[in-house]
Amino acid sequence: MVGKHKIIGKPERRVDAWGKVTGKAKYAEDYTVGHQLWGKVLRSKYPHAKILSIDTSKASELLGVEAVLTAREIPGSNVFGIVVKNQQILADERVRFLGDGVALVAAKSKEIADHALALIDVQYELLPVVSDPEEALRPGAPLIHGDTNEFVHHKVRKGDVAKGFAEADFTIERKFKTQFVEHAYIEPEAVLAEPAEQGGVKITGSVQNLFSSRRSVAEALGISLNRVQIIQSTLGGSFGGKDEVMTSMCCRAALLAGRTGKPVKMVNTREESMLESYKRHPYVLYYKWGAKKDGTITAMEIRVVADGGAYASMSPFVTWRSVVQATGPYYCENVKTDVYAAYTNNNYTGAMRGFGSPQVDFAIESMMDELAEAVGVTPLEIRMKNGFEGGAVTATGQKLAHTVSLKEVLSKAAQELGFEEKWRRYRDAKAVAKRRGVGLACSYRGVSLGAEGVDAAQTTVSVQTDGSVIVSSGVTDMGQGAQTQMAQITAEVLGISVDRIQFLNTNTSGVADSGPTVASRGTVMGGLAAKNAAEKVRATLLEVGSELTGTPVDALDLADNYLVNERTNERLASFGELTAACFNKGRPMIGLGWHKAPRTSWHEEEGKGDAYFTFVYGANAAEVEVDTETGRVNVIDFVSVHDVGKAINRAMVTGQMCGGVAMGLGYGLLEEFEIEAGIPKQLNFDEYLIPTSMDVPRIKTVIVENEDPAGPFGAKSVGEPTNELAAPAIVNAIYNATGKRVYEIPANLERVFLGHKLTRHDKRGSEQKNAFDAVMVESCKVRGGSE
Amino acid sequence: MRPFEYYSPRTLSEACNLLAEGEPDSKILAGGTDVLVEMRKSSAWSSKAIVDITRIPSLRGIGESGDWIIIKPLTTHTEVLHSDLVRTHAPLLQTAVSTIGSPQIRNRGTVGGNIMNAAACADTVPPLIALDAEIMLKSTSGERVIALSEFFVKPYVTVARRDEILVEVRFPKLPANARSSFVKLGRRNALSIARLSVAAVVCKDEAGVVTDARIVPGAAFPRWQRVPEAEKLLIGQKPSKELLVEGGKKVSEVMISFTGRRWSTEYKEPVIAVLVRRALEACE
Ligand SMILES: Cc1cc2nc3c(=O)[nH]c(=O)nc-3n(C[C@H](O)[C@H](O)[C@H](O)COP(=O)(O)OP(=O)(O)OC[C@H]3O[C@@H](n4cnc5c(N)ncnc54)[C@H](O)[C@@H]3O)c2cc1C
Repeated sequence: MVGKHKIIGKPERRVDAWGKVTGKAKYAEDYTVGHQLWGKVLRSKYPHAKILSIDTSKASELLGVEAVLTAREIPGSNVFGIVVKNQQILADERVRFLGDGVALVAAKSKEIADHALALIDVQYELLPVVSDPEEALRPGAPLIHGDTNEFVHHKVRKGDVAKGFAEADFTIERKFKTQFVEHAYIEPEAVLAEPAEQGGVKITGSVQNLFSSRRSVAEALGISLNRVQIIQSTLGGSFGGKDEVMTSMCCRAALLAGRTGKPVKMVNTREESMLESYKRHPYVLYYKWGAKKDGTITAMEIRVVADGGAYASMSPFVTWRSVVQATGPYYCENVKTDVYAAYTNNNYTGAMRGFGSPQVDFAIESMMDELAEAVGVTPLEIRMKNGFEGGAVTATGQKLAHTVSLKEVLSKAAQELGFEEKWRRYRDAKAVAKRRGVGLACSYRGVSLGAEGVDAAQTTVSVQTDGSVIVSSGVTDMGQGAQTQMAQITAEVLGISVDRIQFLNTNTSGVADSGPTVASRGTVMGGLAAKNAAEKVRATLLEVGSELTGTPVDALDLADNYLVNERTNERLASFGELTAACFNKGRPMIGLGWHKAPRTSWHEEEGKGDAYFTFVYGANAAEVEVDTETGRVNVIDFVSVHDVGKAINRAMVTGQMCGGVAMGLGYGLLEEFEIEAGIPKQLNFDEYLIPTSMDVPRIKTVIVENEDPAGPFGAKSVGEPTNELAAPAIVNAIYNATGKRVYEIPANLERVFLGHKLTRHDKRGSEQKNAFDAVMVESCKVRGGSE
Repeated sequence: MRPFEYYSPRTLSEACNLLAEGEPDSKILAGGTDVLVEMRKSSAWSSKAIVDITRIPSLRGIGESGDWIIIKPLTTHTEVLHSDLVRTHAPLLQTAVSTIGSPQIRNRGTVGGNIMNAAACADTVPPLIALDAEIMLKSTSGERVIALSEFFVKPYVTVARRDEILVEVRFPKLPANARSSFVKLGRRNALSIARLSVAAVVCKDEAGVVTDARIVPGAAFPRWQRVPEAEKLLIGQKPSKELLVEGGKKVSEVMISFTGRRWSTEYKEPVIAVLVRRALEACE
């Protein structure tokens, strides 16, 4: 097993590629069975109201309607939530945002179901709406849950900020704002729920975190976990977005299937999806830094308010990552960080690729550039001065024991773009209409869940008598390539080619609860579990091989689909012959792999701890052209550098890096899910603008590999770090071009040109009157409108 | 989506009859890139019948007749993009269609649909008005020809009756001494609705003196129109940089005189002036 890898690090074809390019892959909506009914949700009419009554009698009488359900008819628990259980499958007494479900219909066709929804009569009493998180924290604000809207307060404390500011030569104090962002997965939510033969229910769907969804379904139906089976269909994207919104869809479909005894399919339209699904948190960030003339940072005081929307969802975890990473990878002895989350009547906010880092990275990296300017050095120099090196102690008091490659990624990014030379040239260029600029951003990021929670995963490797292999895992593939990565690891350990492996989509009844596939933990956790499983099988195979050939085990190897004598390279048996022999000897050919993450710790009160078992480092450099007469920004060149530990599959790592940049570019320049008084303004991609291929520049990717013992073959994370740096790099580049800084993203036409956002002052949105219809009508009128 | 009747007439007169005598609440379908979007929104869709005109061959194609270019309504944006006639005689129209949607949208969307839909951001309209285009409408009660600049009432509203079919768009070829341009500002590089746009035509004599100027902003005025106040500034002049800047400012002033100061004026006022200046510079 020593020496060069045969499969690890190669751009192996993805195991799911064939199905996807030929159209054979089955997405959730492709599952159709006989007697299937269509389930539909009646959603709230108002962002905040008391439900006085729900009359479903007319809907129930409609021909073709087989069930109408409200909260009252739920046999088990109506509430769910991973951290705080305060989200409802169907609102019972109160609606808290426009996406809340009030009633369900199952009918013979979509059209009948839609018609039935229109016949349900719900009487509401309007309640005051709060749509701004800072307002929500003020005394007297309308309360969303319980007696305070503040439901998270995380801290980090280090040293003494008062002393730090006293030592400072100057301070920089700035306010930043970020926006709601939609995940924009190409496949809207969909499930098929079928009553199972032995009671219970079987659900096939576009679900990211199957085990948490399963728990809620079991509780809603009031049955045990083993009677709920959730099978993941091929996913058309998730980006963190198919968690709670899918849990509630799974519960709803299961309830309707339970009630009717028939399979029930539910599919959201894009508008329903945008209206109901959770978003990335908007943050308001107050940063105050004290620094010396030489650029040393003496104090950082940071206060952040996150808009949690109507439900807790993942906010406690998302904001925890923010509090841990809020100072960036920079030395500072005195730190005081407070991160709050507030309930509002907006879409709830939860997991999205980046998970609390894109917001703080925008602020940190903007501050870094301001600091550079204040002390008269370049953005690269200020980061090289303050950036972490090996053995650094973070703001949370954690000593970094792995290879700290911050400066390596930074200098590579700068070098690839020719950053230093361009930065000076553009800064000094004369003021023409179209100006170029370059910007830099870097970060460190904790791998996997960290002290957030239990961190363990299972992967099973099952070798068949003909030498083919089945792999299944509790870590799910959402298009990011988890299956391919685990297949490569398995193939490497077993000395076989990847095409021998069939990967099963995750089935909650077939593998152990492996936690959620989030936090860029797929490769580290699923991958190590796969390695563990494959090593168990390998040991058995080698033993049998030794018995078969008389060669001692330590002289044997598995390579290129053969059992070989490691010393002579002689092929002793084909992999298929070996597995057949193994079967005939009655030996187990299945390996159950398990991996539990190393210890982490967190002291919530003291705001200290060893937050993550390891970190990754990345740097992005952007070059933009700003049309200063219109505010239009074009990104014309981009460099993305990430230390991934070890690239299991270079093509997939490159794909993650490019996709992350494209998404980050949208975050920095275009995307904004606007909510006014609880009413969202964009419900489809005609108005919610994501970058097109024409907006994404050439992206030069540089993969840095400092192998880390914490991951399989030294591999760490890549999915999320790639998405957190493009926005600050671009905003810094805009500053280099224009000399004007954008403190609120997205840096769209108006913000770049005017320095602030344009807001419409008319009634739209401020009146609650039948907000739901209003938003649906508006969204079609506005497209192509003249504003 | 509600149920509806679907008709597919093979001749123009059949189509006219259907519109005159059939279901009164019917909708003409061309490329469908606007109609299908509307249909999905049940709250905004009330039509009970669709009259699909795409199988009427006489409604397709680009041709010339003497000094005129004739574009039939079912001509797609892609066809305009590849037309030598348009390239030679109305290059600004070609620039405009090249910015519409994406290749898929340009392959389906038609010039007729773009005009009849009458969205404030319809990209063919400013260049067509700058080209002094007229359109011909047909119904069972006959044909009428209207100057395109007289056709629009306000966004999404025209003077066409619901039983009228747009059968022809025509405009005089640009003279040999004309330079033309179309400038569009969108939020991204493709699939981007015009935030603002400007079509311009400038003709000069041998001495470089402007003999004719036409400026038509898009997505800026309550209805499309040329801006004679700004055009007059140019006529009889040899354009200097300052003059073009002034032309832009004039358009901006006129815009505000129509729209008043609104929430978006802070942005549109300076930027429309820049776009006009750029459109005029492109005609130099
Ligand atoms: C994703 C997307 C992007 C787009 N981008 C742009 C853009 O950048 N710029 C732009 O200008 N537009 C854009 N559009 C709008 C649309 O594509 C264009 O307006 C297109 O030209 C419409 O033509 P159509 O043939 O598809 O019209 P249809 O949808 O078939 O019809 C549009 C309207 O015109 C009527 N109509 C059509 N033909 C006739 C006729 N001959 N006589 C009478 N009435 C008729 C129809 O009844 C309907 O009311 C976009 C649309 C989409 C979906």
